[in-house]
Amino acid sequence: MMSNENLYATALRRYQPNTNRSAPGDEMAPNELLNNFHPDYDQNAMVALQTGSNQGDLCHRQLAAWLQSDTRIKEADLINAPVIETDVLVIGGGGAGCAAALTASATNAQVCLATKLRLGDSNTIMAEGGIQAAIEKNDTPQMHFDDTYKAGHYQGKTALIKQLVLDGPDVIRWLIQQGMQFDTNASGDLLTRRAGGTSADRVLYCRDYTGLEMMRALREATLNSTVARHDYSPVVELLSNKQGHCTGAVLASLEKDNYTLVKAHAVILATGGIGRMHLNAFPTSNHLGATGDGLVLAYRLGAKLQNLNSFQYHPTGLAWPHNLSGTLITEAVRSAGAQLLNAQGERFIDELKPRDLVAAAIIRECIEGRGIRVSEHSAGVWLDTPTLERQTPGILNQRFPKLVALGKRSQIDPHHTPLLIYPTLHYQNGGVSINKNGETTIPGLYCAGETSGGIHGKNRIMGNALLEIISFGRRAGLHAAQRRVKQKHQKISISHLIKFRNDLTKASLPMALKGPMLFPDYTGFK
Amino acid sequence: MNDIDKIQEYVAVTINGQQISAGATLSVIEALWHTGNTRIKGVGCLEGVCGSCRILVRRANRSKVTMELACQTYVEKGMHVIFPPFPPSALRSYQLTDIKNSQEIELQFQHLFPEVNQCRSCGGCTESCPKGINVEQGMHLAAKGQFRETGELFIECIMCDLCQTACPEFIDPQYVGLFSRRVTAFFHLQPANLMHRLEQLQQGHLTVVEPTSTALPEQNNGST
Repeated sequence: MMSNENLYATALRRYQPNTNRSAPGDEMAPNELLNNFHPDYDQNAMVALQTGSNQGDLCHRQLAAWLQSDTRIKEADLINAPVIETDVLVIGGGGAGCAAALTASATNAQVCLATKLRLGDSNTIMAEGGIQAAIEKNDTPQMHFDDTYKAGHYQGKTALIKQLVLDGPDVIRWLIQQGMQFDTNASGDLLTRRAGGTSADRVLYCRDYTGLEMMRALREATLNSTVARHDYSPVVELLSNKQGHCTGAVLASLEKDNYTLVKAHAVILATGGIGRMHLNAFPTSNHLGATGDGLVLAYRLGAKLQNLNSFQYHPTGLAWPHNLSGTLITEAVRSAGAQLLNAQGERFIDELKPRDLVAAAIIRECIEGRGIRVSEHSAGVWLDTPTLERQTPGILNQRFPKLVALGKRSQIDPHHTPLLIYPTLHYQNGGVSINKNGETTIPGLYCAGETSGGIHGKNRIMGNALLEIISFGRRAGLHAAQRRVKQKHQKISISHLIKFRNDLTKASLPMALKGPMLFPDYTGFK
Repeated sequence: MNDIDKIQEYVAVTINGQQISAGATLSVIEALWHTGNTRIKGVGCLEGVCGSCRILVRRANRSKVTMELACQTYVEKGMHVIFPPFPPSALRSYQLTDIKNSQEIELQFQHLFPEVNQCRSCGGCTESCPKGINVEQGMHLAAKGQFRETGELFIECIMCDLCQTACPEFIDPQYVGLFSRRVTAFFHLQPANLMHRLEQLQQGHLTVVEPTSTALPEQNNGST
């Protein structure tokens, strides 16, 4: 049997750049493609939740185990824990958390921001594609709405989408005010590019470093604000009063083995996604902390979640070399014209279809034997960057420096060698249900960003995630800050856990798993 | 975890003083994980953009110490690795809105970063940058008030703070670069297409009509 290197080298020898490839042949109906090949549509991967606000709803099996896991703490752990009081507690130090914290503190509210890792360690910093905002002459917020709603298979909440698209231009203005740069043309207009599945050029960007540029500016703005930071402080439980309203949270410290109780008028969950749960054993493009903590905490307090069976497998994760598998290659490369090719050197789908369809088509090619096989268990398809470079000489260096750097690291030069790609677990489409102020179904508990659900329905388009974190981060921050004038600090307790644990017992669920996950097990964290 | 094929070759490396034997295809972080060593702090994006996993590296039979990122560096036989602590965060504080106009940027800059003028051009910052940024040139440009150009040099900066660690004059070049980028956006980015659209929205010329439920297109694979 050939070694993996040989399999790859043999496949590569068959590849030829070609600026004149024919269009993909007869395409499968979208429903058929998704039903047969998209991981979300594999009914064996889904179970009905047995307890909680979403009892009976279908949920991914792995996520369900965490939602129905037992708490990490005991009442006794908290007896001598110090108590901090604040107006607003923000949990999560990515783009949504910083936007919420900055907006709340701008109204003179006292704000605490707790992060599991360092401020800025997040999926935001890794976002490459850009941020959507309908600012071009031939584009409107209505078209942005229609594209978002349609791409989400008409499952998104229209009131939230409406707010998102109307906020778009002002979000960009706000980001510039925080010191974020965007790429412009010679006359100073913001440049835009097209996202897959959309009807106008609407994605604003800063090279392929949009998320890094955004996070640098927001992190610096937060460091220079009155926001009190707690790094390396994962939240392990929310706190509640007698009515079951959210009144604070329990912070654990990764540096000292202790807990801190934070009393707050409002708590904003901005903990990000779930990629590090590695659903269906997929590799992920997510940062180390993306373990779905916010979902678990909110569910225990009784918050309603939604679309728990819908995740985004980004079509172009690196599949070779193996130790970089899952690393994301931005959709903007396809947007610029790069094509996808199977082992026969043929295109098999319109590369700018929505992400779920493109991912399903890649999986289909591999399952049906038209993928480029590199080991017994793995295969992929080519992302044809050399032909793109031939069509537009210089484009890779100019527009995709991060991609070129990735090539250097993997010893593959994308100017001359196509990249082997396979879908990677990228985004949680659903999450905690919110209204347009970021309020969850639990008074005092807010949610913003990837942890929240409702905007993207069953599929998200490029650039809407960065827009969402700022649009709804600001909304949640502003609204949460207003709660301080309406009430005094409430009692704090973990009594909601009594009911939750009773429910677990009644449903005969195993209580062995202690959540939230905080870190994947391969890090050695217990 | 990444789907890593059977490890064919093991190499001995020393990480934070501890010797381990790890597969040669692994990054420094993966090597720690694979050998049962817990590592969470100093790990972030695992893609080389968050700056968390900064390391000092000395390779076998070489005297030179290089500064790299642990998620981007493969283990090699005889390699010594140290995860250095982060320098304390800067004490200065500024608000972009406190700078009254673009003429005042340089004044503010000199007030916030006076030590930039002490740069002795030793090149330590440039050599320490895992992203290959010409940091020293950036300091010279910033000292002359060329903030747009300075910011441009720092486009790939991941705030790993290694240049600060290297500087004998206590300059923190990463914050100089970030200041330069931020003032350039704040004072000079006034895109006409964005301004025009904001005006239209303010005047209520653009609205969004939500489809009524009866007008919904055929639902695709409806579920919760």
